[in-house]
Amino acid sequence: MQANAARPRKEMSQGLLAVFFSAPAVLIIAASILVPFCIAVYLSLHRWNLKRPGREKFIGLENYIDWLGDSDFWEPLQTTFTFAIGSVAVILVVSLLIALLLNEKFPGRGVLRALLLIPWAIPSVVNALLWKWLLNPQYGLVNAVAYELGIITEYQNVLGSMPNVMIWLVIAYSWIHIPLATLLLLSGLQTIPGDIYESAIVDGAGLWQRFAYITFPLLRPMLSIVIIFEMIFALKVFDIIFVLTAGGPADATNVLGWQIYTETFRKLDFGAGSSIAMLLGAITLALAIIFYVFLDRGARPE
Amino acid sequence: MRQHARLRLIVIYVSAAVLMIGTVGPFLWLVSSSFQYERQLLSRPPQWLPNPIVLDSYREIFEGALLGEDSGVPYQSRIFLRSFANSFFVAGSVAAVAVIAGAYAAYPLARLDFRGRSTLLFGILASRLIPGLSLAIPIVLVARQIGMSDRIVTLVFINLSFILPYVIWLLQSYFKTIPMELEDAGRIDGCSRLQVVNRIILPLALPGLTSAAILAFMLSWGEFLFALLLAETPASYTSTVIVSLFATDVDVNYVSIITAGVISVIPPICFALVFQRFIISGLLSGSLKG
Repeated sequence: MQANAARPRKEMSQGLLAVFFSAPAVLIIAASILVPFCIAVYLSLHRWNLKRPGREKFIGLENYIDWLGDSDFWEPLQTTFTFAIGSVAVILVVSLLIALLLNEKFPGRGVLRALLLIPWAIPSVVNALLWKWLLNPQYGLVNAVAYELGIITEYQNVLGSMPNVMIWLVIAYSWIHIPLATLLLLSGLQTIPGDIYESAIVDGAGLWQRFAYITFPLLRPMLSIVIIFEMIFALKVFDIIFVLTAGGPADATNVLGWQIYTETFRKLDFGAGSSIAMLLGAITLALAIIFYVFLDRGARPE
Repeated sequence: MRQHARLRLIVIYVSAAVLMIGTVGPFLWLVSSSFQYERQLLSRPPQWLPNPIVLDSYREIFEGALLGEDSGVPYQSRIFLRSFANSFFVAGSVAAVAVIAGAYAAYPLARLDFRGRSTLLFGILASRLIPGLSLAIPIVLVARQIGMSDRIVTLVFINLSFILPYVIWLLQSYFKTIPMELEDAGRIDGCSRLQVVNRIILPLALPGLTSAAILAFMLSWGEFLFALLLAETPASYTSTVIVSLFATDVDVNYVSIITAGVISVIPPICFALVFQRFIISGLLSGSLKG
């Protein structure tokens, strides 16, 4: 750039400035997302097993076709959906209830809102450890409480049997995901003007009617956002599986995330692993788009 | 009507109490367990509060780090503090770089008018839709080939790419709230764009930058998948990796496992409580954590 004292300084075009300003960030993202993504596509089209070096070979869509005809894809897919639908439902219902509570004015609600950040702040792996301890078959708190209250007559190993393992996996996973959903729904609730409720009360609308005809429709855009986000997160669940169940017992919690991990990093079959990971990515993306279109259209006022 | 108000308060406080137990109960139980003797931990019915308060498991971790093998404590305990320091290094570096690089990338998205602006923003956000697991395979493969696996610098770099999109999104929406007049005044005084950003936008955006830095720190502190896959030797473990090793090892006593869990959530929980306002505002404008 040539500075000229006499005339006002000539500036770069805004486009060029944008390139300079965003270059470091864009390069980092490209180098560790875009490039690996392309390599992953490449790997998924090859026979590529680290246990058999020197035998790499282009095989087109064979990896994909193999997966689509394999119960090792369909069964984990079904497990993934069971887990994701369960988690999204639990997160949605519980966080909506909490948000409705925190939307009321009462002394102490600020403290409650702050405490909500505790589960949010706990890393997923530590959360898994926490629940592993709570659900311990011999000494776990959940067993102890249920036993003392007379709900069970002897301690249970809930992580060792179906469907208990799935139920507790969903609860443990949801526990750290509820706070963010709650904060989002709460911010949605706070945009609903109070006078709508007042005039509804004047018209004689009860609690349920106010929820069904005012709160729910007006909250729908935020509910859609929460559903889409939580769905995307739940479909790629991995951390908690690694620590809490390792896919067991007997594949009961073998979600696609875990299947990809074992295929790739235990069997060292990078080709097969990449292709099943691509399938998961495609399913996630497709669902996100379908949900977006469907929920967004439904949420739009008539 | 007065009776109605009383009923309302009762319902509110009963639900608030349930919420409180559900929110902090499990975590407090973990903390309480970490201060007990192993044999108290294994008693039925459980001992609710530690009596006496036992610090053995905490001492083990510090002794193990200082004395190494001579201390006789389990292997995971000995290397725990090292991994804790690694986590600090990774999360701290990620936060610093993400905020700096993110702020400069966010500025043009918020304020400049150029072709491809919405494409750039969309591309940055869409990069988050690709599941980490599908990227993990090539990243691990390439990192091994170029000799960059098993280094925490690599982990910083990988974490950055996942956190930058959030940070950019958050900051560009924050920059938009800064009045245009302030920027125009600077421009009239002869500031270049870079000077405008450095002298006007960044100082005014300090609350937004703080939110972004804290969130970046917390997200990379909790990252597990890449920390696990890229680590080959204990020297590059992060605290989440150690916690997972503890939790899946049946030979270690419960108190040590629990204590490792407690120590590794101290930084994020302190952050969450101290900076709650920044975090909540950041979360609401960025919708984070995955």
